[in-house]
Amino acid sequence: MAVWLLIMLALPLAAAAAGAAIGDRPVSGWLSAVAAVGSFAAALVVVFAYHVVRGRDALDSVFFLDGLSGVFLIAVAFVYAVVALYSVGYLLPGIGHVRLRRWYWALLNLFGLALLATPVIANLGVLWVAVELTTVVSALLVTSEGSDQSLEAGWKYIVIGSAGLAVGLLGIVVIYAAGVPTLGDHYTPTYNTLAHAAPHLNGSLVRAGFAFVLVGFGTKVGLVPMHAWLPDAHSEGPSPISAMLSGALLAAALYAVLRMGAIAQLAVGPTYVHVLLLVFGALSLVLAALFTLRQTNYKRLLAYSSIEHMGIVSLGVGIGGPIAAYGAFFHVLVHAAGKTLAFFGAGDLVSRYETREAGGVRGVIRAAPFTGVMVLLAALAITGVPPFGIFALSS
Amino acid sequence: MHAAPHYDFVHATAAIIAILALLSGLTLLLVKQVHEQVRAYAVQSVFAAGYTLLVGIDRVDAALIVLAVWTALIKVIVIPIAIDRAVTRQVSEHEVPLVVQVPMSLLIGVTLAGLAYWSASALPIHGALLPSPALGMPLSLVLIGFFFMITRQNVISQIVGLLTLENGVFLATVAIAPGLPFAIGFLLLLDLLPAVVFYGVFARLIAARAKTTSIEDMAVLRG
Repeated sequence: MAVWLLIMLALPLAAAAAGAAIGDRPVSGWLSAVAAVGSFAAALVVVFAYHVVRGRDALDSVFFLDGLSGVFLIAVAFVYAVVALYSVGYLLPGIGHVRLRRWYWALLNLFGLALLATPVIANLGVLWVAVELTTVVSALLVTSEGSDQSLEAGWKYIVIGSAGLAVGLLGIVVIYAAGVPTLGDHYTPTYNTLAHAAPHLNGSLVRAGFAFVLVGFGTKVGLVPMHAWLPDAHSEGPSPISAMLSGALLAAALYAVLRMGAIAQLAVGPTYVHVLLLVFGALSLVLAALFTLRQTNYKRLLAYSSIEHMGIVSLGVGIGGPIAAYGAFFHVLVHAAGKTLAFFGAGDLVSRYETREAGGVRGVIRAAPFTGVMVLLAALAITGVPPFGIFALSS
Repeated sequence: MHAAPHYDFVHATAAIIAILALLSGLTLLLVKQVHEQVRAYAVQSVFAAGYTLLVGIDRVDAALIVLAVWTALIKVIVIPIAIDRAVTRQVSEHEVPLVVQVPMSLLIGVTLAGLAYWSASALPIHGALLPSPALGMPLSLVLIGFFFMITRQNVISQIVGLLTLENGVFLATVAIAPGLPFAIGFLLLLDLLPAVVFYGVFARLIAARAKTTSIEDMAVLRG
């Protein structure tokens, strides 16, 4: 398993280095696409060939994989792979509006690396570093169209995201402190270590720590009321980056919440964690649905839809039980696929019609039949129409 | 009999550093000039490094002592100078527009500190050398940092607010988890550097576009 994990992480790192060295040339794009598809293949091998359901350490507890990390790993690896492929075309002259072309591929691959590392890192401190890396890298990608709006969106994103993650780190520190009486002053805060010691952790500290984690990492998930950055960043970034943010980043941040939620559940029982997830999930679902109704910018509409879907996943985990959890995790996968397709379609519409306003887009089926059909399918998929995955989940 | 005076001196020094760190956080709310805010952050970081050093010496922990030196180097010298050079000198105006004026800011800051101490008193935890509640001062800095970011409409001020918040988290780490592996503490500190570089890039872009570091006009995206 360790070899495949290393291959999975080494490919985007190498592609990032190559992208930084080569810059804006077609070969950078193709190298990135090959690396991303290779990483996806390695992720599949890691997840399916090693039966991760019961949880496994690898490389002396540097990595940890179980069913939860497997689901999120597949989601982020898939989105990274298809976004890299789509970006090759999107960056052709006259198609996308990316101005920060020199660093696009290096940043995209670093973003992919951080996203792939998040679900497999065993150490909670390093997991935080991986999520923080996604912020600094993707914030620059959000501004890569170079408009005033994208700069505003990127600034909001980096400030709110970083502030949220600082609170998330405080949560990890408090959970670490909860283990000190049992595990001693110096211990490595891996999931396995804390999970084994969970019954002996200080309950009050674990509750406080998880609350900080939920608010902190929840900011990156886009849970209401910490979602202010999300509609701006998703709507103003280039479409492949919007897809990566929506399909992969939100999932990776949610993974961090659920991973620490698993420790909290073992320490203080499921009720506390479930109630918090239910409250934030319901709030996100309802408010995002209301905001969706008043959107005229179709990328912004998709962004609010992402908040809504993260709310649904949080609700599913909050309800508890194996069926609800299965539904929630399957939802992560179908949302990643459906929303990525929707943002790809949105990218094509922005290129063709030079507007993000839904009112300015007419006759897509005639002008671009393939794009029109794909956008329609994506819209049907993410709204839960049969036979798509979200319908299967709700029935 | 020799241990008691040492114990008292170290604890008293830690308490004084904690008070000074809190006061430096509140001082941020008093100053309107951008470069004064950056200096207030540097002073606050001196106390963060000083507290880390004190805990390191008391526990005879070389990792914490190295971390204290790194903290001083990065937060007291490198980051303030980098921010100053990157942006402050590029713009003509240096006074930050305030959403909440200074007297009310101070009042809210003191209230937030009280709230932090009250909340922290509910947590059954003892901090390294700090008087109980151990998380009171770090949480105060976190809340003051948040408040500062929200009410100062300037990119540099928001960076300073964010760094203040981060100082609060750093002090919480040293106070309640001083044994957290050195590698992680070091990683977190290293992580701060690229983050500040990225903030600097953003701040420069904004300043270059508008010839100001004010973000009053950055309110196009709504709803």
